[in-house]
Amino acid sequence: MKAVGARLPRYDGLQHVTGQSVYVDDVRVPDMLWAKALRSTVHSAEIKKLDVSKALRVPGVHAVVTHEDVPVNIVGHLAALGVPADEPLLAEHEVRYQGQPIAVVAAETEEIAQEAVNAIEISYEEREPFLDIRKAFDPDVPKVSPSGNLFVYEPYTERRVRKGDIDWAFEKADRIVQGVYRPAAIEHCPTETQVALVVPEATGRLVIYSCTQAMYFSMGVVATHLGVSLNDLKFVGGTVGGGFGGKVDTAAETISALLAIKAKRPVKWRWTREEEFLCSSVRATWHVEIADAVTKDGWILGRRTLTLHDAGAYTRFSSYGATKHAFHLGGAYTIPNLSFNAYVIWSNHVPTTAMRGFGVTSVSFAVELHMTRIATVLGIDPWELRLKNASRVGDTAPTRVVLKDPSAVPTIQAAAQAAGVELASEYRAMTNAPRKGKTLPRHLVDQLGAWRDNGGR
Amino acid sequence: MSLIINGAEYELASPPLTSLLNVLREEVGLLSPKAGCQQGGCGTCTVLIDGEPRRACLTPLGAIEGAAITTVEGLGDPRNLSPVQAAFHEHYAAQCGFCTPGMMMAATGLLARRPDATRDDVLEALAGHFCRCTGYVKIVDAVLSAAAGRVDTTRPEPEAEPGEPSVVIPGSPA
Ligand code: FES
Ligand code: FES
Repeated sequence: MKAVGARLPRYDGLQHVTGQSVYVDDVRVPDMLWAKALRSTVHSAEIKKLDVSKALRVPGVHAVVTHEDVPVNIVGHLAALGVPADEPLLAEHEVRYQGQPIAVVAAETEEIAQEAVNAIEISYEEREPFLDIRKAFDPDVPKVSPSGNLFVYEPYTERRVRKGDIDWAFEKADRIVQGVYRPAAIEHCPTETQVALVVPEATGRLVIYSCTQAMYFSMGVVATHLGVSLNDLKFVGGTVGGGFGGKVDTAAETISALLAIKAKRPVKWRWTREEEFLCSSVRATWHVEIADAVTKDGWILGRRTLTLHDAGAYTRFSSYGATKHAFHLGGAYTIPNLSFNAYVIWSNHVPTTAMRGFGVTSVSFAVELHMTRIATVLGIDPWELRLKNASRVGDTAPTRVVLKDPSAVPTIQAAAQAAGVELASEYRAMTNAPRKGKTLPRHLVDQLGAWRDNGGR
Repeated sequence: MSLIINGAEYELASPPLTSLLNVLREEVGLLSPKAGCQQGGCGTCTVLIDGEPRRACLTPLGAIEGAAITTVEGLGDPRNLSPVQAAFHEHYAAQCGFCTPGMMMAATGLLARRPDATRDDVLEALAGHFCRCTGYVKIVDAVLSAAAGRVDTTRPEPEAEPGEPSVVIPGSPA
């Protein structure tokens, strides 16, 4: 254990403190143009008219791109995993969120580019937006996508997790403890806003300076939109002014590339702080409902949950995030009987995306508040309730994986110690070791028994 | 228009309403001041104007004719760091590094004015300087250690030595 806990110098520390780190905005190339975007001013609308001819006539403008310029406009971030492509790079006949890019201009200066954007003629026929995901099951709400507002996990409309015999648990329970938890959306707010610089080479290859957190992933997204192969792109990245998940989406690279191809000049697109806040993806809003079947002495026999995840206008990574969420809804605790349903819901909010612990922080928020609620309802010490139900070696996760080295017990003990909480001796002495005696109640004896008896369903 | 930037005199062609940030980045080519918001909200563009930390994005060139400007490039190079630079390096006060130039210029301005700055002074000087990565603790610690002279500018590399875990975890196999 020489590396863990060692103080190693940051590999980029000296260049950071001497101002020598080269972020995308610091790359200097000759003849560079600046980009500015026309973005939707409304949450939901048909585009009735889009005319960029006046923008093209502004002196100093070198290119304008709309959806017509994109070889493959509709691409899915998780197409490689079989998730249907649903998001246009540039809006076609409709806009589904405020801030959605519609047309982008490259010009000699940012000011000229903005002037040209202002000259683009656009008219909308506004539609009623769908913004409250709790109403997703109401047949009268506006549809975000022609197929409705629910992403489909074939063959279900929700990600399901089932384990044990949930009805048995709710019959046997002394109390049912219910709660609703709603972690709100969060903007990643990196100090460096989204930015890309694309330099066309004489060979036709594009050099793409990118702030992406996911180089090879972003290369794939750009290549797919442009209909080119990966060796037509040279990505330069690795110096990122903060990302936190928000720079996994490929935000500025593809459009800058299209402009650079059209203008035959290098193009930089640096989002403003307003664009970062209003138009870049955010951590989703989640709505999590939990009902736990508990015994008087603090055992959790079963858990039912309903999760609504606000994907925003397009799927991006949401189906993956909600799957991860559903797999973790047991928290750090072992509950043998489970029924989890997690829905990915499209709304007219800005598309949501990965952020630090994607899908799982919403679990921690909901489950830990719920554990404290159970303790309060039962009049049990919240630390003891947690330690009692904490996963141990040999317990099974919601996915029925047998746990080999769970860390819940030592983590909760360390948290108690750090918080200055004196645990009762039996909880201080508790370890990860497989359950036996008092720590092995009947309902945890054969954790996969009911599932097997059900024929593995 | 003319400015003295990091000790050298510059004749500038930018129009007087150009922000100092754009003058430094786009005309002079000094890239340490960053454009985090260009509206005074984040502090990444902070430079010293006649010794005072100021937001370059909000300062029009025409308002500071003849002023002396200091940027991170004027503090020190990798072999000869200023105390503030060395402290930021030693204390891991730069993570992505994007806020770091502004933070360091604010700290440098503070310590020039108040070499014995207290924690409250540091918090006040860094107010309005936004860091999304570090959680600020390491930045404040770095400035305080520079104030206390507890930095070795000749050996800025932190020593690679195993540390003690701060919380002893009962039952941990380690
Ligand atoms: S760029 Fe000047 S304060 Fe943000
Ligand atoms: S180190 Fe990333 S914003 Fe401060």
